[in-house]
Amino acid sequence: MTATAVRVDTAPAAQVKRRRRSLGWIAVVPLLAFVAVAFGLPAIAMLDGAFTAKDPATGATSYTVDNLTASLKGAYLTALLGSVKLSAVSAALATAFGLPLAQAVVSSRFRGLREAVLTASGVLANFGGVPLAFAFVATLGNAGVLTRQLGLTDKGWDLYSFWGLVIVYLYFLIPLMVLTITPALDGLRTQWREAAQNNGATGVQYWRFVALPVLLPTLLGGFVLLFGSAFAAYATAAAMVGSSIPLVTLQIADAISGNVLVGQENVALALSLDMVLVAGLVMAVYLPLQRRSARWLA
Amino acid sequence: MARLNLWRWGVLGLAGLYFLVPLAASVVFTVDVPGQGITFDAYTQIFSTDGFVSSLLLSLELALATIAVVLLLMVPAMVALRLGAPRLRPFVEVVCSLPLVVPPIAFVAGLGTVLKWGPDHLSRTPLFETFVAIQNPDFPFVLVLAYVVMALPFVYRALDAGLRAVDIRTLVEAARSCGAGWPQALVQAVLPNLRGALLNASFLTLALVLGEFTVAQLLGFRPFAVWIVNVSGSQAQLSVAVSVLSLLVTWVLLLVLAGFGGRTRTTSRG
Amino acid sequence: MLDTAATVEFRGIRREFGPTVALDGLDLTVQPGELVALLGPSGCGKTTALRMLAGFEHPDSGEVLVDGEDVTRVPAHRRDAGMVFQSYSLFPHLDALDNVAFGLRMRKVRTAERRSRAAELLDLVGLAEKGGQFPHQLSGGQQQRVALARALALRPRVLLLDEPLSALDAKVRLTLREEIRRLQQELGITTLFVTHDQEEALSMADRVAVMHAGKLEQCAAPSELYGRPATAFVAEFVGTMSRIPGRLADGTVDVLGQRLPVDGPVPSATEIDVLVRPEAVRVRAEADGKSRVVATSFLGAAVRVTVRLADGSAVKADLPAHEAAELTAGAAVSVSLPERPVLVAERTS
Repeated sequence: MTATAVRVDTAPAAQVKRRRRSLGWIAVVPLLAFVAVAFGLPAIAMLDGAFTAKDPATGATSYTVDNLTASLKGAYLTALLGSVKLSAVSAALATAFGLPLAQAVVSSRFRGLREAVLTASGVLANFGGVPLAFAFVATLGNAGVLTRQLGLTDKGWDLYSFWGLVIVYLYFLIPLMVLTITPALDGLRTQWREAAQNNGATGVQYWRFVALPVLLPTLLGGFVLLFGSAFAAYATAAAMVGSSIPLVTLQIADAISGNVLVGQENVALALSLDMVLVAGLVMAVYLPLQRRSARWLA
Repeated sequence: MARLNLWRWGVLGLAGLYFLVPLAASVVFTVDVPGQGITFDAYTQIFSTDGFVSSLLLSLELALATIAVVLLLMVPAMVALRLGAPRLRPFVEVVCSLPLVVPPIAFVAGLGTVLKWGPDHLSRTPLFETFVAIQNPDFPFVLVLAYVVMALPFVYRALDAGLRAVDIRTLVEAARSCGAGWPQALVQAVLPNLRGALLNASFLTLALVLGEFTVAQLLGFRPFAVWIVNVSGSQAQLSVAVSVLSLLVTWVLLLVLAGFGGRTRTTSRG
Repeated sequence: MLDTAATVEFRGIRREFGPTVALDGLDLTVQPGELVALLGPSGCGKTTALRMLAGFEHPDSGEVLVDGEDVTRVPAHRRDAGMVFQSYSLFPHLDALDNVAFGLRMRKVRTAERRSRAAELLDLVGLAEKGGQFPHQLSGGQQQRVALARALALRPRVLLLDEPLSALDAKVRLTLREEIRRLQQELGITTLFVTHDQEEALSMADRVAVMHAGKLEQCAAPSELYGRPATAFVAEFVGTMSRIPGRLADGTVDVLGQRLPVDGPVPSATEIDVLVRPEAVRVRAEADGKSRVVATSFLGAAVRVTVRLADGSAVKADLPAHEAAELTAGAAVSVSLPERPVLVAERTS
C-alpha cells in the first residue's frame, strides 16, 4: 500500500516543488524591487554624482575625479581623519570597558541584573542620538549640572572637545559592546576553565592563555563594529551645536546644505563615497572575524 | 570568592555611575533652573509647546507605516526563502545587509540627489507628481522608504533568528496534512510561531524611526527628533526634559514588549 | 613508565547543594595503579566525588587524601591529577599539539621540549599525524584522545575520567574503552572513571564502586559485584535481575515449589523476594504449566523470554535459541531454579 502511495505521489511532488520554487520567487521579487528603487537609485545617484562635475560657466556636466580629490584635501581631509581618530579611540575604550562590564553581568548569579543591563544596553545602543547629546549637554556642557557643581570649567573641562565627544560616544558604544560580547562570554565553556586549572593554570593564566585568545575574534569584530557605528554617527555630534571637532558627517551635512565652493557641489557625494568605502572595509574585516568566533563558540 | 565579588561590584558600580549620572543630572537640570529655583515648568509646558504633538504624531505615523511596509516585504520573502528557494537566501541576506555599508548620512546624500532629479528632469511626466506626493510635509512617504531601507538589516536578523528556531517546512506540511490551505497554513501555523521575532523586528524598527534624526533633518522634514533639536536653541530645559522622557518611554516600551513577548529576547540572542 | 602510582582516599566526604545531598559520608580507597569505576544512576554523587579530587568542588566535611597527604585545601591548579571531561573541553583556538602542551606551557617548559613531549603523547594515543589539526577538525573520538593526552602531559599521579565516552557513538566507544584501559595499564596510573554505563564499568575496571544517593553501596571486582551483590540496590542496578516471591522458613526459602538455601545473611522477614539472574532461570514448555510466556526477544546467541508466573510477577530468562523455538507468546510453561543457594531481599512492594 505504501509503495503505491509513493508511486502515485511522485508526479505531484515534482509539481509541488516547482510551484513552491515559483512561489519563492514571487514572494522575494517585491523585496528586491523595493531595494532596487529605494536603495539602488540613491546609491547610483551618489556614485554618479561623486564622479560628476558641472562646469560653472557652461552648465555642462562631465565625469571627473575632481570631487574625490577635493574630498581628500584640506578641511575635508581633516574632517575625515578627525572622524577616524574619534571613532578609533572611542571604539578602543568601549571595547576595553565593555568586556569587564559584560563579564561582571554574565558571571552574576542575579538573572534580574542580567536582564536589566541587557535591556538597558539595547535601549542605549539603538536609541542614542539626540537625547543622548542633550543628556550630556545638561550634565557636562558649559551650563551643565556637574560642570557648575564641580566648577569643571575652571579646571579646563570642555564637553565640546575631542575627549568630551569620546565620553559622549562611549555612552552608546559601551552598551553596544556589551550586547556584542555577551553571547561570546556565554559561549565560554566551564570545561575550558576547569581544563586549564587542571593543567596547572591560575585564574590569571586562564584569562591570558585561554579566555582572551578565544574571545579575540569577537573582541576585534566588536571593535570594528563599534568603529563603524561611531564613524557613521551624525545626530549626536549635530545636536551638540558648538562642537569644534571636525567630523566627516558634519562636513557632508554642511555640503548638502549648499555650504561649498563653486564647482564642488558634488563634494558631499564624494565624501559619502569615502564613508561607504570605510564602512565597506569595516564589514570586510568584521564578517570573517564573526564567522571564526561563531565556529569556536558554537 | 570574596575577592571576585569585590571586583564584580566595583565594575558594576563604576558602570552604574557612568550611565546613571547623566540621566540624573539631566533631571536635575530640567527642574533646578538657575535664577528660578525648583520648577517643573519644563515638564508642564511640553504639551503646550508648539510642534510637540504634531511632530510626535508624525514620528509615530512614520513608525507604523515603516513597520507595516517592512514586515509586508520581509515576512513573505523570508518564509518563502525557507520553503521554496533556499538557494536565493545568501543573495537576499547580502541585499538586506547592504544598507549597513552605507551610513545614513551617505544614504541621504544620494537620496537628496535623486529627489532633485524630479524638478530637473521629470517636470513634464506623471512621475513628477509622485515625487511631489512622497515629499508632502504632512506625511513624507519618502522617509518611510528611507527608514524601511535602514531597518532592513535589523529586521532580517530578527526574522532570521526567529525562523531558525522553528522548522517552518514541517509546520506547513503538518498544517497542510491537517487540511489547511496554503494561506491558512501560513497565517495559522507559521505566524503565531514567529510572534517573538515579529515583535522584536517591530520594536527595533520603532526605536529606529522614533530616534531618527539624520535623514529627516537633511531632507527638511520635522519629526520628533528634529523638533527636539530645533526647540533646544530657545528652550534648553524643555529639550532635555523631552529627551529624558523619550529615553524612559522607549525603555518602558521595551520592558513591556519583553514581558509580552516572553521568550522574545532569549530566542533572538540564541 | 610511572615510578610512583598514588593511593587515593576519600574519608567521610559530605557535600550538600542547597536541599540536595550530593555526597553523604563517602569512604573509598583506591590502591596504587588501580582503575576504579564510579558507577551509579545520575545524581548519585559520582561526578561530585571526582570533581572533589580534581579540586573543582570542596567538601562540607571529610577529607581527600593522596598518598596519605590531605589535599582538601589545595587549589585545583596545584593538584596532581589529570582530568578528561565529558566533551568539548579542548581549547578551540589551539591545535591538538598545543592543547596537549598547554600544561607544560603553564609550567614554563621550553618550547622545543614541550613540543616534543606533546608529540610523544599524541603518538601514545595514536594521533601522531593530527598534531596540527584544530578541535573542530577532529572527530569526537579523536577529540577525547587528545584530551586524554593532555590529561597525561604533566605526568599526574592520578587520572580522572568524567564520563569521557558518553558523547561518542557506540563503535568509537568500544575501541576507545579498550585503548584507555591499555594505556592505563601500561602507565600503571591510579585512575578513577565515572560512568553510568554498567557495561563500561564492568568491562574496564579493576574494581567497580556502585554509588547510590551519595553513599557507597559496594566496591568490588566486577565478577564479585555481579555474582555476589552486597545489597539489593547493587543486585538490581548491575545486570538484569528478576524478583520471585518466596517464603523464608528455617534458613531456607520456599520458592517455585523448591526449597533452596539462602546465600548471604538471612533477613528477619518471612515474606521475601528471591533475586535471580536471567541465565539462572530454567523455562520448559509444559501443557499444564501455570505460567505463561508474555514476550520473547532475540538477543543473538540467546533468547530472552519474559514469563508471567501464576501470582502475577514477571521473570526474565535467557535460553539458548534452539530451546526457545517453541516458546511463543501465550505458551504454557513451568519455571524452575537450579539447586544452588539464592540471594534474597526484603519485599519492597
